[in-house]
Amino acid sequence: MIYLDSAATTFQKPPTVVRAMNEAMDTMTSPGRGDYGPSARASQTLLTLREEAAALFHVGDPERVVLTTSATHGLNIAIRTLVRPGSTVLLTGLEHNAVTRPLAAIPGVRLRTIRTPLFRPDLFLAELDRQLDQGADVMICTHVSNVFGYILPVKEIAARCREREIPLIVDASQSAGLLPIDLEGWGAEFVAMPGHKGLYGPQGTGLLLCRATGEPILEGGTGSESRRQEMPEFLPDRLEAGTHNVPGAAGLLAGLRFVRRKRSDVLLHHEVHLKDLAAEGLAKEPGVQVFRSRAHQSGVLSFRMLGKDPGQVGDWLSQRGVALRAGLHCAPAAHETAGTLETGTLRLSFSAFNTPKEVERFLRIMARLR
Amino acid sequence: MFYLIMCRSLTHAQRIANGLERAGIPARILRSPVEISPSGCSHSVRIPAQSLSRTLTVLNRMRLPYLGIYVSAAGYGYREVEP
Repeated sequence: MIYLDSAATTFQKPPTVVRAMNEAMDTMTSPGRGDYGPSARASQTLLTLREEAAALFHVGDPERVVLTTSATHGLNIAIRTLVRPGSTVLLTGLEHNAVTRPLAAIPGVRLRTIRTPLFRPDLFLAELDRQLDQGADVMICTHVSNVFGYILPVKEIAARCREREIPLIVDASQSAGLLPIDLEGWGAEFVAMPGHKGLYGPQGTGLLLCRATGEPILEGGTGSESRRQEMPEFLPDRLEAGTHNVPGAAGLLAGLRFVRRKRSDVLLHHEVHLKDLAAEGLAKEPGVQVFRSRAHQSGVLSFRMLGKDPGQVGDWLSQRGVALRAGLHCAPAAHETAGTLETGTLRLSFSAFNTPKEVERFLRIMARLR
Repeated sequence: MFYLIMCRSLTHAQRIANGLERAGIPARILRSPVEISPSGCSHSVRIPAQSLSRTLTVLNRMRLPYLGIYVSAAGYGYREVEP
């Protein structure tokens, strides 16, 4: 199989991730629930994960690295902390349902969406200035579009929000492990990320980087202040009710170390190179529309074939050993922005484990569709 | 005799214990005794009696807050000490 769906989940994991998870299953129980060895080892694993994530993503205090089950989980916490009924929220036109559905569930929220052409950060920032000047209670911004790989100028967006004292939530689902993430430098209130994509951890893991303390969306045992019936006021306990996914955390820690060892900039360069190879090849095919940019795109590439249903093309490719994703990618807003809402697209996305030869094989298979 | 540094969370206790260990001070995390933990479960870091002065120096350097320091002597339970 040629696996080209890493924007959903990186399928091939470093062997160290699998080993760390096996070791955790064999040697660890629940952190903070006992003074015995297996509990202490679990506690130490979680602390090390927080410390190394804090160092990588510029979080001043490791306690502000909260373990979640996914980026969606983290975004729900962030949104429910900052957005109130009747709030005005400014959004990019590229947001995932992980952002838009929690917003839709809060009564009376007024959404203002910034829709500017793909891969034009200059136009985006100009429109952002205009929208921010009208005021907003919260700004939510994806770092990289999960459909088009469009890299948003988050540093500049964050600076503009800081100037106007508008709290910022960043969805780093497609950027964590590839692009610099700087919670303190950006001054964002929250940055949410999954563990199972560019950080090479297992599914069911994620991180929420917090400057704000955050409101719990799940209450329960924390191993602290047990007589009180309110959740503790302090992080990470406030946002981490219930037993932790310790094998997942051990795997995520190993994935994080893989990324640090390989270096994010090198990983990004590799994925962008593969994306460019695929884009060039696809652009030569008659009737293929490729959504590409040399300057502002990660290793995520969308395309569609005029007159062909992306779902059917995806099925056809799947039968020939190519794994990619067709449809709306849980981001109808992004398709609305790009004018692809009615058809959807086919999406290729790469990881450290893909090779140029795989791209060549994929292009040869695509040529048979003519 | 030993001292307990009572912490607001396990994560805090771990960071304090790790910092003390790095400074060469033996430190062990344990559940806080009930009599000093009125709001229920919490964690403390146990240090030898002779290490208190160095511990305070390290804690000050680490800028990590703690809820209190308690001394335990045989037969006298726990008593909070003023650093």
